Amino acid sequence: MASLIHCPHCGIRPKEEFTVRGDASLVRPEPDASDEAWHEYVHIRANPRGRTREHWQHLYGCRRFLVVERDTVTHEVYSVTDGAAAARGGSR
Amino acid sequence: MLFQSRHPLESKIGSGSSIRAVDHLEIPRSVAIATVLSHPDETAAVVAGFAAAGDLVMRNVAPGEWLVLSHIERSDSLERRLSGLLTDIADVVDQSEGRVLLRLSGPNVRRILAKGVAIDLDPSAFAIGQSVNLRCGHIAVNFARSGENEFELVVMRSFAESLLEDLLLMGREFDLSYGFSGGLADPD
Amino acid sequence: MTGYRLPNSGLVDRAATLEFRFDGKRFTGHAGDTLASALLANDQLLLARSFKYHRPRGLVTAGVSEPNALMTIGSGARTDANTRATVAELYAGLEARSQNNWPSLKHDVGALNNLLSPFLSAGFYYKTFMWPAAFWEKLYEPLIRRAAGLGRAVLESDPESYEKCWTHCDLLIVGSGPAGLSAALTAGRAGLRVVLAEQDFRLGGALLSETTTIGEQTAPAFAETVLSELGTLPNVTLMPRTTVFGWYDDNVFGAVERVQKHVAQPLAKLPVERLWRIAAKRALLATGAEERPLVFGGNDRPGVMTASAIGTYANRFGVAAGKSVAIFTNGNAGYRTAEDLARQGVGITAIIDTRADAPSRSAEALKDVRIIKGAGIIDTMGGQRLNKLVFERSGYEEVIACDAIGMSGGFNPVIHLACQRGARPVWSVELDTFVAPDVGGGLSIVGAAAGRYSLSACLADGAEKAATIAADLGFAATSYEAPAVGEEVDPSFTALWYVPGAKSKAFVDFQNDVQARDLGLALREGFGHVEHAKRYTTNGMATDQGKLSGVNAAGILAGMRGVSPAEVGITTFRPFYTPVSFGALAGTARDMHAAPKRVSPLHGWAERNGAVFVEAGLWYRSSWFPREGEKTWRQATDREVLNVRENVGLCDVSTLGKIEVFGSDAAEFLNRLYCNPMAKLPIGKARYGLMLREDGIVYDDGTVSRFGENHFFVTTTTGLAAGVLSHMEYCAQILWPELDVRFTSVTDQWAQMSIAGPKARDVVQALVEDDISNKAFPYLSAGVVTLKGGLKARLFRISFSGELAFELAVPASFGESVADAVMEAGRAHGICAYGLEALNVLRLEKGYVTHAEFDGRVTPDDAGFGRMVSAQKLDFIGKRLSTRYGLTAADRMQMVGLKPVEKDKTIRAGAHLLKEGAKPSTINDQGYVSSASFSPVLDHDIALAFLKSGRERYGERIVVWDRLKNEETVAEVCEPVFVDTQSTKLKV
Ligand SMILES: [Zn+2]
Repeated sequence: MASLIHCPHCGIRPKEEFTVRGDASLVRPEPDASDEAWHEYVHIRANPRGRTREHWQHLYGCRRFLVVERDTVTHEVYSVTDGAAAARGGSR
Repeated sequence: MLFQSRHPLESKIGSGSSIRAVDHLEIPRSVAIATVLSHPDETAAVVAGFAAAGDLVMRNVAPGEWLVLSHIERSDSLERRLSGLLTDIADVVDQSEGRVLLRLSGPNVRRILAKGVAIDLDPSAFAIGQSVNLRCGHIAVNFARSGENEFELVVMRSFAESLLEDLLLMGREFDLSYGFSGGLADPD
Repeated sequence: MTGYRLPNSGLVDRAATLEFRFDGKRFTGHAGDTLASALLANDQLLLARSFKYHRPRGLVTAGVSEPNALMTIGSGARTDANTRATVAELYAGLEARSQNNWPSLKHDVGALNNLLSPFLSAGFYYKTFMWPAAFWEKLYEPLIRRAAGLGRAVLESDPESYEKCWTHCDLLIVGSGPAGLSAALTAGRAGLRVVLAEQDFRLGGALLSETTTIGEQTAPAFAETVLSELGTLPNVTLMPRTTVFGWYDDNVFGAVERVQKHVAQPLAKLPVERLWRIAAKRALLATGAEERPLVFGGNDRPGVMTASAIGTYANRFGVAAGKSVAIFTNGNAGYRTAEDLARQGVGITAIIDTRADAPSRSAEALKDVRIIKGAGIIDTMGGQRLNKLVFERSGYEEVIACDAIGMSGGFNPVIHLACQRGARPVWSVELDTFVAPDVGGGLSIVGAAAGRYSLSACLADGAEKAATIAADLGFAATSYEAPAVGEEVDPSFTALWYVPGAKSKAFVDFQNDVQARDLGLALREGFGHVEHAKRYTTNGMATDQGKLSGVNAAGILAGMRGVSPAEVGITTFRPFYTPVSFGALAGTARDMHAAPKRVSPLHGWAERNGAVFVEAGLWYRSSWFPREGEKTWRQATDREVLNVRENVGLCDVSTLGKIEVFGSDAAEFLNRLYCNPMAKLPIGKARYGLMLREDGIVYDDGTVSRFGENHFFVTTTTGLAAGVLSHMEYCAQILWPELDVRFTSVTDQWAQMSIAGPKARDVVQALVEDDISNKAFPYLSAGVVTLKGGLKARLFRISFSGELAFELAVPASFGESVADAVMEAGRAHGICAYGLEALNVLRLEKGYVTHAEFDGRVTPDDAGFGRMVSAQKLDFIGKRLSTRYGLTAADRMQMVGLKPVEKDKTIRAGAHLLKEGAKPSTINDQGYVSSASFSPVLDHDIALAFLKSGRERYGERIVVWDRLKNEETVAEVCEPVFVDTQSTKLKV
């Protein structure tokens, strides 16, 4: 029916305004990284039970990619922060 | 050659409602609208630039991104003026043709909008002048509170007909009237 | 007393008489009645037939948990099946029909099932109708469904309207009984934004059925007083007829408001139902408690109800359930019902108390009533209304005449909402029932729903918890202090799950005809887990979802297993609390409002030129432009194609995604985004661009034009415009946040038209001031031009047809006017409008690709773009994985052209390719046709296909095998370009 995400730029919004891109902890390997590193990056996903960090794009709002830290079991949302800021800070 | 400009809602609206109700949807025929994209770390300078211009209406889109509206200026002169004002601190893109403004006002405006808009519209929660991008029904709009009981929606041109149809359905309960600006006199 | 209507009591408006029909028969009731109370007042006790055995059934409850009295209400397209009569508000002209009986309620052929019932035990269907498998779907299931069905859905489109709404509040209170009202008053006075939702049409909850006093007032009068104060508070919203059906993440509640379900002719401007999403900072569940039925022999006979239902019918609706009522109880609450009835002149034949040590009651009203302690009812008699009961005490049986039984088996707090998000109900030894655990800060449970059954406790609890919430939210609040309550009901009871000695069927779940012994069978056959037992017996699977039966079933299973019900548990509560119509869930999103329609700025021009439109995603695009005498799309399309090849045509391409890109790193950004080089694209030039996914497969294609050192303009395909923009945002924000790049979509800003054909320049030059000769504006030029009269436009020398072509972009609102002018200027050159179909044939003849080719499996090399992929660039999206073995293997399917060997044969997209003589099989599959059409230029079918090692096989004959059409066509493999193979027309 509904759940709410608190966009740091736009405020509280229903999840229907967002699209989920997936794991926010992935870091794109260097071009010359190993086959395994690239294979992991492109194909392998953990699908964890519990706390997870995902990229959600606020498609109907600011269009920013946000890092949503949430629990996949309870859907409790612990934090929502701007993804670019996190990427710049290298804290992915 | 003289080319004619045609408002995207021209054929849908025509002469609009025959009677203006207390709740009314007004569509200004021409509004100059530009997207302003701030260069990195120039957001404060851009905001200061807007403030210096004085007469511009700014609408928040995203961090470092705004829609700027003018009801008096032509689109090319707005684009020129903004480009001059914001040289080297922002990029300016004319969107006057790509966006349509709809203005909803009246005592029941919040009850009408709550049928499409999920945010808290209480006067204490959404102040006059505040603006955000959000979803109204199925459609992405820029949404602003422009008066005590007045809200403005800026929508992509291709969606304007559908948004109009949706708003009229949402307003049916309150006999929402509609028309282009200057079409109907105020009821009082 | 007329019929069963009591002379004075109740809250119905006796001055307002409403006429209605049930099964065609005319009845009257009063404003304030439910359909159930009005039928009961008219002695219409038989209301339904049960699901499995077709047993006669009457009312069991006076509320939402009613398992039996399901009706079809309304007529024609305005028909609602499975409506509970107990919550259907009576209105003048209401038409109700009983369900699940044939040919009539009184004479029901299906009742024969009742005689067969020894064979119809739990699991019977599963065990019997197993073989052969095909019979299940074709024979058994339809038969069972016809015999056992509930009401029928109508097949007409629903003429009613519905809508959805959001609201926000500090405190949502679910239920307007004593706890809800005192909470609302406390929070409302403190200034919180309060929503008080009540599923009933009248606010007040249990107070409406109470006979005690609060202060100087009767309970209903007290409710009125509180409600009138709440009505004056602007921060309090009272929502009657509103069922909160679900509790969702982040404290959002789903509720359905029945706006016009209680009127014969709904107003057109209002919805009949409104679905609310209520975002509440806090919520209080003040949903009260439900009285438990007792499980005894013959407990489903019409006339057997819960005691509190009998009390509600008498006290609130002024209707007696019978003229000689027996009370069967295991606690003290049953005595209170007896007192209430006796005081209103209803005969009480006996109170049968299962407790041998029941405390004696000295109520004046009951002084002549026979009270039988330590006894249990073991059977009942009567046809369509109860007339006798048989009870047993110490081995002796006795028959008592009575026409109604009120059963009082204890109380279950209504905790469904609290347990919808994973929290399991917990067993309370003290209360002998399941209660909600602590579910966290967002939702608190209050009053009888929290096991505080007395009226004074409810009033105090509501006020106290609301005050705590107010303080938490930063409001100064004082708890509302209600006046003193008169005589209270003593809710104590001694749980009894099954009354021993049953001489006939003892039902646990009335609607699904589940008996106590069915649960025993489930346990014996290994389905003793409460969730297994539910599926095996269907207990709790009916429309009432076990509201009455769930706790009794847990108790019975526990008893048989010799454990506490705590160990058995109860089946999972899920939304919706009560059924919600599909209409309400859909809201306005139906018909033209189901999805937005995107309209091109050239739509009006296309209409004027006779376009037939096609949905392309959300867009409505012009597909072909039939002229007089053209009967099929092919005729129009063939003419349009030939005209473009010979003269000139105009096509609307406004729907392409258009993105302005800025920044000192814009070139670098695009260089990393596309697989081909973009960094050195000169200003004033356009270039074809191919975008890969990170796995090396093609994602999208389009053009990139450069308008300045730090200013680019990108187009995408129509279908992936939104996806590409998101992809670019991901790259800019997450992958390369260090790059100085910004972009914004201008798709809607420009009306864009492709003017293609050998005479295109003559037509365009007629409108443009600037020199657009081949010398001044060669192939792949891009720039700003001035139209005659001064309008600024953008012009691109790009072609998707292989002909000399221009794409002219003008400000959207001038699109129609400019397109008209182009047509006018082109008239002398034989211009025509052409649509998507012709566009597709033109590109296919030239071997240009679309997403029919780029279908998510194809690499650049597969499609013949291998050399475009930059080997020089250090990095771009898809670079690394595009070199892996699987994507460079020699036997990959490569794009080729196909021509039928016999020119009149057809090739269709989707067909597979086989070597001549090979049997169709996965192993023998050589490839597939991605696009095909008739070429009016060549006068035969042509196709693009993907064929294993295809580029080495030009000239080979291959079988095009189409299983859907049962066609086989022998085709020749050729280079994927069918016209102007040397591209002589493009660059002139
Ligand atoms: Zn946002």
